[in-house]
Amino acid sequence: MDPSEVEFLAEKEVVKIIPNFSLDKIYLIGGDLGPFNPGLPVDVPVWLALNLKQRQKCRIVPPEWMDVEKLEEIRELERKEDTFTPVPSPYYMELTKLLLNHASDNIPKADEIRTLVKDIWDTRIAKLRLSADSFISQQEAHAKLDNLTLMEINTTRSFLLDTLNCMYKLRSNLQPGSKYISDVV
Amino acid sequence: MPCERKPMRYGHSEGHTDVCFDDTGKYIVTCGSDGDVRIWESLDDDDPKSINVGEKAYSLALKNGKLVTAASNNTVQIHTFPEGDPDGILTRFTTNATHITYNSSGSRVAAGSSDFMVKVVEMYDSSQQKTLRGHTAPILSVTFDPKDEFLASASCDGSVAVWKIEEQTQVTSWPLLQKSNDVINAKSLCRLAWQPKAAKLLAVPVETTVQLYQRDSWAQVGTLSDDLGTQAINVVAWSPCGKFLAAGSIGGLLTVWDVESKLCVERQTHEKGYTVCGLAWHPSGGQIAYTDTEGCLGVLDGLSSSSSSSSTTTSSTMTKQAPASYDDLFDDDDDRPLDEGISEGARSPAKNPGDEDDDDDLIPATGRARNRSAFLDDENSLDTGSLKQGLDKFVDDVGSAIVLPAAVAAPLRPVYDGPMPTPPQKAFQPGSTPAHLMHRFMMWNSVGIVRGYNDDQDNAIDVEFHDTAVHHAMHLTNSLGHTVADLSQEAVLLACPGTDELASKLQCLHFSSWDTNKEWMVDLPKGEDVQALCLGQGWAAAATSALMLRLFSIGGMQRELFSLPGPVVCIAGHGEQLLVVYHRGTGFDGEQALGVQLLQFGQKRRQVIHGEPLPLSRKSHLSWLGFTAEGTPCFIDSEGVVRLLNRSLGNMWTPVCNTRDNCKGKSDHYWVVGVHENPQQLRCIPCKGSRYPPTLPRPAVAVLPFKLPLCQTTTEKGQMEEQYWRSVLLHNHYGFLSSSGYEIDEEGQSQAQKEQQELLMKMFALSCKLEREFRSVELAELMTQNVVTLAIRYASRSGRMALAQRLSDLALEKANQLQGEEPQEEEEEPLQYTRRNTGYSQSSSEMGADRQHSSHRQAQEEEVDEEQGQEEHMDEGDVAESKRQGLNPFAKGTAASPEKPSPKPVSKEGRVNPFKVSSGLGRSGSAGGQNRVTNVLDSMMSSSKKPTALLSSSGSTGKLNKTPFLKPLAPRPKTKTQSTLLHMNAPKAANKKAAEEREPAVCRLKQTEAPPPASPAEDVENKKHKSGFQLWLEDNRRIILADNPDLEETDVIKEAIGRFRTLSADDRLTWTERAKGQSGDVADMKKRKRGEESRGDKNGQSEADETRQSEADETSAKKKKPLDTSTKLSAFAFNKN
Repeated sequence: MDPSEVEFLAEKEVVKIIPNFSLDKIYLIGGDLGPFNPGLPVDVPVWLALNLKQRQKCRIVPPEWMDVEKLEEIRELERKEDTFTPVPSPYYMELTKLLLNHASDNIPKADEIRTLVKDIWDTRIAKLRLSADSFISQQEAHAKLDNLTLMEINTTRSFLLDTLNCMYKLRSNLQPGSKYISDVV
Repeated sequence: MPCERKPMRYGHSEGHTDVCFDDTGKYIVTCGSDGDVRIWESLDDDDPKSINVGEKAYSLALKNGKLVTAASNNTVQIHTFPEGDPDGILTRFTTNATHITYNSSGSRVAAGSSDFMVKVVEMYDSSQQKTLRGHTAPILSVTFDPKDEFLASASCDGSVAVWKIEEQTQVTSWPLLQKSNDVINAKSLCRLAWQPKAAKLLAVPVETTVQLYQRDSWAQVGTLSDDLGTQAINVVAWSPCGKFLAAGSIGGLLTVWDVESKLCVERQTHEKGYTVCGLAWHPSGGQIAYTDTEGCLGVLDGLSSSSSSSSTTTSSTMTKQAPASYDDLFDDDDDRPLDEGISEGARSPAKNPGDEDDDDDLIPATGRARNRSAFLDDENSLDTGSLKQGLDKFVDDVGSAIVLPAAVAAPLRPVYDGPMPTPPQKAFQPGSTPAHLMHRFMMWNSVGIVRGYNDDQDNAIDVEFHDTAVHHAMHLTNSLGHTVADLSQEAVLLACPGTDELASKLQCLHFSSWDTNKEWMVDLPKGEDVQALCLGQGWAAAATSALMLRLFSIGGMQRELFSLPGPVVCIAGHGEQLLVVYHRGTGFDGEQALGVQLLQFGQKRRQVIHGEPLPLSRKSHLSWLGFTAEGTPCFIDSEGVVRLLNRSLGNMWTPVCNTRDNCKGKSDHYWVVGVHENPQQLRCIPCKGSRYPPTLPRPAVAVLPFKLPLCQTTTEKGQMEEQYWRSVLLHNHYGFLSSSGYEIDEEGQSQAQKEQQELLMKMFALSCKLEREFRSVELAELMTQNVVTLAIRYASRSGRMALAQRLSDLALEKANQLQGEEPQEEEEEPLQYTRRNTGYSQSSSEMGADRQHSSHRQAQEEEVDEEQGQEEHMDEGDVAESKRQGLNPFAKGTAASPEKPSPKPVSKEGRVNPFKVSSGLGRSGSAGGQNRVTNVLDSMMSSSKKPTALLSSSGSTGKLNKTPFLKPLAPRPKTKTQSTLLHMNAPKAANKKAAEEREPAVCRLKQTEAPPPASPAEDVENKKHKSGFQLWLEDNRRIILADNPDLEETDVIKEAIGRFRTLSADDRLTWTERAKGQSGDVADMKKRKRGEESRGDKNGQSEADETRQSEADETSAKKKKPLDTSTKLSAFAFNKN
């Protein structure tokens, strides 16, 4: 899966906006949206929120977890735990990127949030690499990884699978002369 | 022995200050947030010596010529005194020290710091330090035991601890204070003080009292309190002799107690009510110096006699400053920022001595007798009538020290324990945050937001619209210093208070103006200030300090002005309505006495609410006033209760919501920005731990639902009742809007009605389930007529015959009412309709040309049938009838229904179907009418009088009177059901008419009393009339009407014909067959309407009658039956006329 595809999926997430226009309910295949009352928060998918934001038709209310204190807590927890901790949103990375890129003026302490989310991301990716490493080095057949988000899986999947395939090929080719391997190693 | 409060003078810039005397008492030494230490020779010293010790000085102590200060550079420094030369650094902390103090000998200094530590440092060798650790929050204050053994400290963690200095251990600790996270956030500075000399007592200011703890036992041995002290005490200080204790509070109250007797011997108020944060006794004990958070220094002089002559119980003179104390009272009742809710008026008397008499009279005295060793020394109070006679001689001596035992003084004092007046709340702008904030909302309403900034760089106003389509955002420089604002779709209105040079101004940015001049400004007369303002549609209003309300057109033309009955609290406008809330009088014991006026401009100018009291919650004040988006007045008090004007209940106020119920924390609040009735929304901003939202980060609006405070809303019944009454209340505005000529949302209204009726039906079902039949009838009384029909159906289905009977009475009554309401509205149109009907029923008439084959009958024509039946069954036994009556659920209705015009045996009437009577009446003119009057009066309830009167007057036009019922055919959604019921009548009327036309000789019944001739004539019509299509139409008319609500009757029929044709041949055949009544089987007929059944009965009238009777007997057992009957009953209701 392409990261852009994952991002596309993330755009279905619901976010609160405060419109500055008035519009009745709109009926879409995915469900009804609105009614839009100026000044009154309303839930819309991210794609619409960003579209309206770009046309300066609304202000985006950042999701509850997009808050410096909460993210700091999450970051600390993530650093403390060896396993993956639950993330505030299955699309936290994508949403952060989307919202901060397009609506940073509506999000207080946008820069700090960006840094924090990046920190969390880095920590998690490091864990992921680490677990992949130990998975391979210990030649495990299977491993269980909880609380991974789609984006995180996607960053490692193609590479990991290809690598495993490759290694499998190498190993099976070398199977007969396993002695040889140990000699080489 | 009066003590003299000398006028305050500025010493430092605003902020925390501290004060002490030097050892000799020659100098007063102060420090402040400007970082300077000033040395005053006296209060009048114009040129105090100044020593700079740092950026900010937090605390100072002076002894033996060494001045110790806590400065912002986290050090405790020493300076020589009085030279002011730096003499080294005593100690350092990781953050600034908050309080420092010397021990009694001056050999040690204790310092408490924000880094949770207390250090005790030897003066001669600063390396000898003892650190006391144990507090978990910044230290508020420290004090030495005069015997140098212990040290007491207070901390923001809420504890007051006593330490053993040598061992550096905590001896004891009391959790006395409110927790806070920093000194600046602490409610009180909690400056502890240890009794000098005797060292027996430790004084700890806790809230509004001072608690005394005994040394060694560490038990609380006493509490010093003062009735007037309603604000937390900040600092305490012992007199040098150790017999008196002085305390200074947040609200600026200075109190001196005699510790032994626990009597308050002295009470003074800070002249401006600022927080006292520093307090020091002169070494001689005759003077107290104090400083406040505004950087001012003040002195109380003349205490010497009271303190030095401490061997006697002294009675010092006290100046009671009632008005200022009210401020305290008020502030305490209400934990808002000081200047928010308090009226200007409450303070002004303090500045203006002339007013004081009044105030003193209002409150002759406060406090309890034990504090009564004091008199008013204020000359203005000399004439206070409330003082008892015996006091006069003492009062005469005002100015000289009166020393007399408290025991004598106490009983002389007039004791007043009654209600205390509440300071009237200040005028405010609903939807604004307090004016003292640097960044504030000046207005947040449904149109937009006006923000005011007033900081160092900028004094500006930002106007932002929720809907950018109204106008783009604006940024104005606030050079005039506007403090109040309002915003509407048309304009921004701003006003500033007047100053010495400039008059109060009203500025209007009329951005919707079509000309180029978008702004106007009006100067108010000198001395008149705008206190509140609002915008309506096309007008602006400003309430001023001169108790006037000035109206302006939105273009700037001055319009009406009128006087207000009292000082304004706030005003609100919407459309052509203006809502004014003002002070009606003085409230007592925390209550506000507010009055409200609602004025209506526009075409019919009138006052809707004439200055009635505004019903606030207990001990609360008004916090929001305005209109719902739909124009219903609404207000919210500080308890969070939202009240809405109930126009249908004589303009009473009904509580619709309590925002505090939705709060999670005790100190959380909702700040309301708008109220909508449709949809039911209370738009507000959740404020965590405050009453007002900050401007940044931008607060988000939340929506709260309404909830009427009905009882038992956890039960299903309570819930439905709440929903019903809420719906009724919140849809009142439709009535108002339509009556004042606005367009209303018909759809919304009908939806609301539907919802209400549904709820009623649910409640009805519930109370039926609970066997509460009386309650069910009560509910049914609230229902509309067609819902009552449903209710009847429900009742009879569930086998509650008595209930169904009562309901049918009710339905009848309602029908009559309805009839009375819309009597002769449509005389003309029905005639046409009759003709049309006649025309199209002609085709079917061929089928049953023979009048003797009159067995095909329509439900509507049953009456005819019945009459014949009556004739034929005249001889029938009473027994059978009585039996029938007993079993028929509608027996009562039958009995109650008007009897037929011709005199008949009573027995007959019992079994007689009510419908026959109406038909008889319809046909027979005046005679029938008369008969009916009597019968109706006998059998019906009072409400039926109107229709009967109408009917009797209409006399011979009785037949025509039926026609108005056609009116409901007009596509009004409300009457849809009625029309379906009624359309049955239409054909009948048509038939009758036709009958009359054809057989005039027979049918002219007007004068005769004998109906039988008429019935055969009509039978012909009945037969003719009945076609398959007709039947189908009956069943489907409702659907057609629902699909095409605005069809005319002709169009309906056309449409119906069209649809009927589209039916499959089989279907059509079925209908035709039904019409023909081929099947005589009664059981088959049960599904149909009763009329159909009787029509289907081919075998002759007598049989038909019998069938009906037997059916009536069976009704209770059959499910469908009562339903039909009820339908018929309601149809009957319409027939009546």
